[in-house]
Amino acid sequence: MSSDLFKYNEEREAASAAKVRALEALLIEKGVLGSDSVDAVLQYFELTAGPFNGARVVARAWVDPAFKERLIADTPKAIAELELPQGMAGAEGEHMVAVANEPGVHNLIICTLCSCYPWPVLGLPPYWYKDPVFRARGVREPRAVLREFGVPIADETEVKVWDSSAQIRWFVVPERPANTEGFTEEELASLVTPESMMGVALVPAAAAKAA
Amino acid sequence: MKLQHSLGGLQNLGPVNVEPRVFVQEWEKRIFGIHTVMMAESAHLTGALPQYPVDTLPTTFKETWTWASLRTGAESMQPFEYFKYRYYEKWLMGISQFFVDKGYIMADELASLTAHYRTQPDAPLPERPNEPVKQQITDYLVKGDSGLRPTAEAPRFASGQTVYVADPAAVDHTRLPGYLRNKKGTISEVYPGAYNYFVSTGPDGIGEPMPVYRVAFEAADIWGESLSEPNTTIYADLYEVYLKQANA
Repeated sequence: MSSDLFKYNEEREAASAAKVRALEALLIEKGVLGSDSVDAVLQYFELTAGPFNGARVVARAWVDPAFKERLIADTPKAIAELELPQGMAGAEGEHMVAVANEPGVHNLIICTLCSCYPWPVLGLPPYWYKDPVFRARGVREPRAVLREFGVPIADETEVKVWDSSAQIRWFVVPERPANTEGFTEEELASLVTPESMMGVALVPAAAAKAA
Repeated sequence: MKLQHSLGGLQNLGPVNVEPRVFVQEWEKRIFGIHTVMMAESAHLTGALPQYPVDTLPTTFKETWTWASLRTGAESMQPFEYFKYRYYEKWLMGISQFFVDKGYIMADELASLTAHYRTQPDAPLPERPNEPVKQQITDYLVKGDSGLRPTAEAPRFASGQTVYVADPAAVDHTRLPGYLRNKKGTISEVYPGAYNYFVSTGPDGIGEPMPVYRVAFEAADIWGESLSEPNTTIYADLYEVYLKQANA
């Protein structure tokens, strides 16, 4: 199904790889950045900012309805209650707002102008979010786009599309799946994907836990 | 009009690409990292709320580099080229050119070193760690760069009010999604305070602190009934200058 337009040959990728390495080497030589600078950025998104934080926020909202209410009412304040890494109101998360899916309401997050994304709780945006086709189509035909992601949304369900055009970075609290009554918060968090927190996936009903 | 300002609603693009990876090639990580280091070292951060000490940071980088820089570059591309290159390919082109244009590196040294790494992909990078820069990177990522500023002026619009979206001339850079121009919406939230933007967008109108509103649009009011899906609301955050009174 997916387009091959952006699949390039190895020659082209190797050329880009060599160019970015040359650029980084020159910037180190000229004193623009240190040889440990780029790695420091990448490590931050492996260890500190990532979808593992958002998954914990969602899991807490599933087990604690009062927390969920606070999360929707004042997202940064509620997130600050949790023992997450420092920086949950940091770069690209200075002003975050969570919106909740519920029976009859489905939320979809998009950035038609670029790729605004709530870094602290979701990390960096997946390719599909940045692709011009998603950005172009998601605001006009969200249900058609969601069907291509494998998510059927009935016409009776209200679809809310959130175009991230200024300061707010949005994310979705998906609905808690069936068959998860006995799950710990940690087990619940393991079910939550970045896609479900952007509204292009549901969290599927869990398989019965192994005894 | 500029196509990059008006992606929303563009038709005939075919199926979405559902690729879930952030980086589809290893090299893409490095250009993302370079961009983020530039943001953490950006000269404008002396005026940021956390008052970062970038003016005394041991780096030769003395430019302002923000999201606005990257976005302005992407929006200035020939539109067919914009679609031709993958996301991080555009970053690599734009950022390399920026360093050449600003005189930090020479085009020919970039070309010859690229050729070197092309034949020896595993040749090492220079080893020159920079602890203060590393610390500033972490500080910037942890504390961010909020545009929220206090304001003495009352917002012009109130929650529940019907508004129309303005149609300013398309300049180099905007935060007004093109598909909303001239459309009717309803203020659903007035955000407290005022928000600046990294740069002035000139006649487009943003830059200095101003109120920002969450505006709700019925899909049919944007696309018309025949091109809309039922029961669909689109929300956008819009700077005050992008809104007009319904009877104006």
